[in-house]
Amino acid sequence: MNPFPMVLADWRAMRGTAVWCIVLVALAVAIGVAVGAQERALRQASARASDDFALLIGAPGSQTSLVLASVYLQVEALPLIDGANLNRLAADKRVAAVAPIAFGDVVNGYPVIGTTANFVTRWGRLAPSEGRVFEAEDEAVLGSDVRLPIGAGITPAHGAAGAPGKADPDEARHRHEGVVYKVVGRLPPTGTPWDRAILVPVETVWETHGLGNGHARDPAPLGLPFDAESIPGVPAIVVKPVGVADAYALRGQYRQGGTMALFPAEVLVSLYRNLGDVRAVLVLASALNDGLLFLSVLLLVVVLIGLRRRRYAVLRALGAPAVYVLLVVWLGTTALLAAGCLVGLALGWAGSAAAGALVAARTGLAVAAAPGADEALLVGVLVLVGGAMALVPAWLATRAPISESLRS
Amino acid sequence: MLALHDVSVRVGELTVLDAITLAVPPGRCVGIAGPSGSGKTTLLHVAGMLLEPSLGSVTWQGTRSRDPAGWRRKTVGFVFQDFCLVPELSALANVLLPMRFAAFCSGDAAGRGIAMLAEMGIAHPHRRAGILSRGEQQRVAIARAVLNTPPLILADEPTASLDAGTGGQIAKLLIAAARQAGAALLVVSHDPALLAEMDEVRTLRGGRLA
Repeated sequence: MNPFPMVLADWRAMRGTAVWCIVLVALAVAIGVAVGAQERALRQASARASDDFALLIGAPGSQTSLVLASVYLQVEALPLIDGANLNRLAADKRVAAVAPIAFGDVVNGYPVIGTTANFVTRWGRLAPSEGRVFEAEDEAVLGSDVRLPIGAGITPAHGAAGAPGKADPDEARHRHEGVVYKVVGRLPPTGTPWDRAILVPVETVWETHGLGNGHARDPAPLGLPFDAESIPGVPAIVVKPVGVADAYALRGQYRQGGTMALFPAEVLVSLYRNLGDVRAVLVLASALNDGLLFLSVLLLVVVLIGLRRRRYAVLRALGAPAVYVLLVVWLGTTALLAAGCLVGLALGWAGSAAAGALVAARTGLAVAAAPGADEALLVGVLVLVGGAMALVPAWLATRAPISESLRS
Repeated sequence: MLALHDVSVRVGELTVLDAITLAVPPGRCVGIAGPSGSGKTTLLHVAGMLLEPSLGSVTWQGTRSRDPAGWRRKTVGFVFQDFCLVPELSALANVLLPMRFAAFCSGDAAGRGIAMLAEMGIAHPHRRAGILSRGEQQRVAIARAVLNTPPLILADEPTASLDAGTGGQIAKLLIAAARQAGAALLVVSHDPALLAEMDEVRTLRGGRLA
């Protein structure tokens, strides 16, 4: 038994309708696929970006703001915490490494972040792809996406970062005249918003804002410990604990006494939970959308079968068993739905990649939306459901009375 | 032999066929004449077991088939008034279509199909059926009906959609194919030229066979 010549003939006979069916199913499926793939990619990218931020300490307030400002450089005006905490943490045996994160300045739309050379290399994990890490107060290191040349002299301005690479008109009015950093190196890409940052010694950030350099002498060796009588405050401190138990102990300790401590991961989990809820709603809406579209396509197929019942009656008159007609209609309909689902899978992944590129352009977060098993499984389920639903018009096609259909 | 025993077909209050008894032995060509609406097509559908009669029975070689589709596949060649080809398929694919229903299709089927089409005067077997002339389409339909040398051929107004000249050629081809195969041929028609070629002509009037 070979139903394929008739399946192909049916497709040729309704090729315009078939193409539209495939396009509509593909678009409906693509929405569901894109939502799933994008949410997963966003989750992975945001988690990757927080890898080097085991524990964050800041002033009491919004945990989300602290994470967004420190990890994702969505610069906000955060209250400062006492800079003496840096020395206290550096001396703590439970701490493997500690670094300040000071922000609030900008160059050409790129945020300027004051920190230590140790954190610039992410505790020794990264080496500059060009040049070297800063060694003096007037030196700067660029993130991989900062479009400035090595050796350039840059002057920071007070204000929030704008579009990277484009100086805001306000930037010129709030420039810290007399402060010039010389670019001495560039970091390799990390796929995080820090790729768009200009990293400078925290000492210079403090000095630029008239707070001294944190050291008793000037000049002094960069970085910890800070031995000035009064150490300037910082918006955030990033801590690398020695072990997991140490991390929890430090978090508990610095949740009191005028500081707030948190694991960025726990804030992300809360965000993911909300993101997951949104995703669930979108996926449900998309599934309902797919279901309704499938029903519409099947209704269309039922109408087409009604119009073509004479064709199938001829097959029956020529001796085709009912199962042959059932196969012709079922295969034809299921193949249309399956083709739409597969095209939708490809479109969804492509759409997700495009959305990822947009997110990357806006935030610097490398959202690599890659094909995943979840979407393939979703499409597999849709094909199965479509195949099961296609049995209805196929069965109806076998039930039409032959003699009556031949006269139609 | 095809036999209809006291066959009646009723649709509601209307009696379409009334106690029809008819026998078509192998090698015999039987024509059913009658005006439009006299029940000719219904009679043919009952004979081909496409329609279950309200009363009476249809037998082939003395037995009633429990599998009408299987019986038609193995026994019957159908020719329709307006050909009923699949226009998107080639002439050859149309001829071979009934073989697609079978579990197995013999290897030389395509060769036999091409030879049969050539015999019917179709020079381009791979041309789409939809673009053939009406006369060519009916030739393809006859080739489809007789390719497997069925012992029974049922033809419903096979010349009605054709001009007189083409109709005459088609009638000759159909009868020749039936005689060559030794098949029983039952034709319903109101084409006098076609009916004149039959061994026996019966007239259906008001659902009754004269």
